[in-house]
Amino acid sequence: MSPLSRRGFIGLVAGAGAAAGVGVPLLSGIAGAASTGVALTSQLPLPRPFTVPLTLPPVLRPTRSDADGDHYEITQRAASVEILPGLRTTIWGYNGIFPGPTIESTSGRPAIVHHTNQLPVPVVVHLHGGHTPEDSDGYPTDFILPGNGFNPVMPDMPGMAPDPLAKITTGERTYTFPLAQRATALWYHDHRMAFTGASVWRGLAGFHLIRDAEENALPLPRGARELPLLIADRAFNADGSLRYPSKDPSLLMLPGVEQQYTGGVLADVILVNGRPWPVANVDRARYRLRLLNASNARRYQLTLDPPPPGGNAFTQIGSDGGLLTAPVPHEAIEMAPAERFDVIVDFGRYPPGTEVVLANGFGSGSTGVVMKFLVGSATGDPSRIPDTLSTITPLDPAHADVTRDFHFADAGDQSGWYINGQPYSPTNIAAAPKLGSTEVWRLVADFAHPIHLHLVHFQVLSRGLKGPGEYDRGWKDVIDLRPAEEATIIARFDDHPGRFVFHCHNLEHEDMAMMGNFRVS
Amino acid sequence: MTWHYWPYRITLSVAAVLLFNQSVFAGQFLGGSYPSLATHRENATYAGIAVLAAGIAAIAIRWPGKGPWWPIAATFGLFGLIALQIVLGFLRLLEIHIPLGVSIIVLAVLLLFWAWRKRPADIEVAR
Repeated sequence: MSPLSRRGFIGLVAGAGAAAGVGVPLLSGIAGAASTGVALTSQLPLPRPFTVPLTLPPVLRPTRSDADGDHYEITQRAASVEILPGLRTTIWGYNGIFPGPTIESTSGRPAIVHHTNQLPVPVVVHLHGGHTPEDSDGYPTDFILPGNGFNPVMPDMPGMAPDPLAKITTGERTYTFPLAQRATALWYHDHRMAFTGASVWRGLAGFHLIRDAEENALPLPRGARELPLLIADRAFNADGSLRYPSKDPSLLMLPGVEQQYTGGVLADVILVNGRPWPVANVDRARYRLRLLNASNARRYQLTLDPPPPGGNAFTQIGSDGGLLTAPVPHEAIEMAPAERFDVIVDFGRYPPGTEVVLANGFGSGSTGVVMKFLVGSATGDPSRIPDTLSTITPLDPAHADVTRDFHFADAGDQSGWYINGQPYSPTNIAAAPKLGSTEVWRLVADFAHPIHLHLVHFQVLSRGLKGPGEYDRGWKDVIDLRPAEEATIIARFDDHPGRFVFHCHNLEHEDMAMMGNFRVS
Repeated sequence: MTWHYWPYRITLSVAAVLLFNQSVFAGQFLGGSYPSLATHRENATYAGIAVLAAGIAAIAIRWPGKGPWWPIAATFGLFGLIALQIVLGFLRLLEIHIPLGVSIIVLAVLLLFWAWRKRPADIEVAR
């Protein structure tokens, strides 16, 4: 062997080693990650998708209606239900069901909801997207203690000091939601400090729809052709019970999830209205889908498979804060946790008998599909999508009173999540907007952080060097901040004074301290 | 054939691959893959150990190899930069962490080129 070729051979081996040493990790991660989180796998064979029928949560009737508003009763309790075929699962539900009953309100007419807590833990009810005064907004320490009055004192850790402003009740509480706001799909869910992720996982979530005259006057699909769809991923143990990596399964003392799940919990079963990959029979007509991503951490890219002839599977008519100004066609809908999308799908574009899968481009395997629509033969569709839906006055950043910067990032050691380097504490006020003032908030993220502000709706001004994204239209209460992304939003703090939270709606991030306070005065 | 360069070549090659992979894992977690942050942290340790091993291997170039002494200093210097880099990473001082990371990889690759250069000794022995 000549010396040169020996060197050449060694060089070749070294080069191949280097290429493999770099190439394998490079290519194995090339797909990136649509969701920030860690996979949690069910301990049983997953059921076949598209075998159970879609159900809609029942609409809750008011116990009475008077000059004050509509009065509702909800009991939070554990219940044994069938989620996976043939297995029983204990859930925590509003009235013992998951999702909880849907409340339908009229804009401007208060909903007065009396909650009874029959669960073994404190609870807090937050109406997500509601312009709600402080005392009914479900501040994370405004507990409804269990009926026995047990108030667990959490171990001494940052942010866990008793909150001097907490308004704690025992066994029950009445929340008053003025609902002086535009028609939209809100949702109510548990918001207890440090245990929100686990409580919502067990089932404490439901729709609260607001109607108004403007929306009612539009010829949109209604009645049986309006489908509220609460989409959430869950994992199960071998016995059918819900699987979740709580540090303390009693959900009483030790908050948070096992260290490896600090990034968020991504499960392998996709539930729509509490049913695994369900099937819905639809007419050949337009349907209004009220999409809600109620997952703890999972992001979705919803598509229709097969796509309808001519494309534009979805026509978006509304977002978190109600109707857009005009309909917007989309091939796909990208949803971060807690976001809502109000979309029209025209199944009349498919031949009778078509099976249309609502797929998830951000998932793979069991999470790559969400549900299926079976297109029937019935036609007849009085609905249409008007070219003009509503009016939205853009907020002008030139008139903003204050600009603030918030940096959402890992705590440094992957033990939790901070805002501007600080963990959540009830007593630390990060922003103090004047009542009626307009503020620009510049948000920066390390990983995917869906940022939610209580009390207000905002408008997205920019993402990075560009304007608002494809899914940022209209009034928002969650912005899907993507990894290593910077965005600016603008909001007017004009409804109610008081202390409110803003936080990441990846619920594991929220529970592990990615939350802050703003005080409006 | 003189063997004195080989321990350095091998250890430094491994170190260079691990150091370059720091950029791969950083790219992955900036792309949203949460587990890659832990990998980035762990791989920093392995890369540091590999550079330390290369620093020790560089001693053989000087003694008994009668080669230059500066690779020893350069490689331990590189290790010092990596230690600083790890501290900066935990402090999230990305304004320095990222350019320093690029510099470390550039320095490691320059050393690698020097280490794998044809040596008169190799050729003489082969003749």
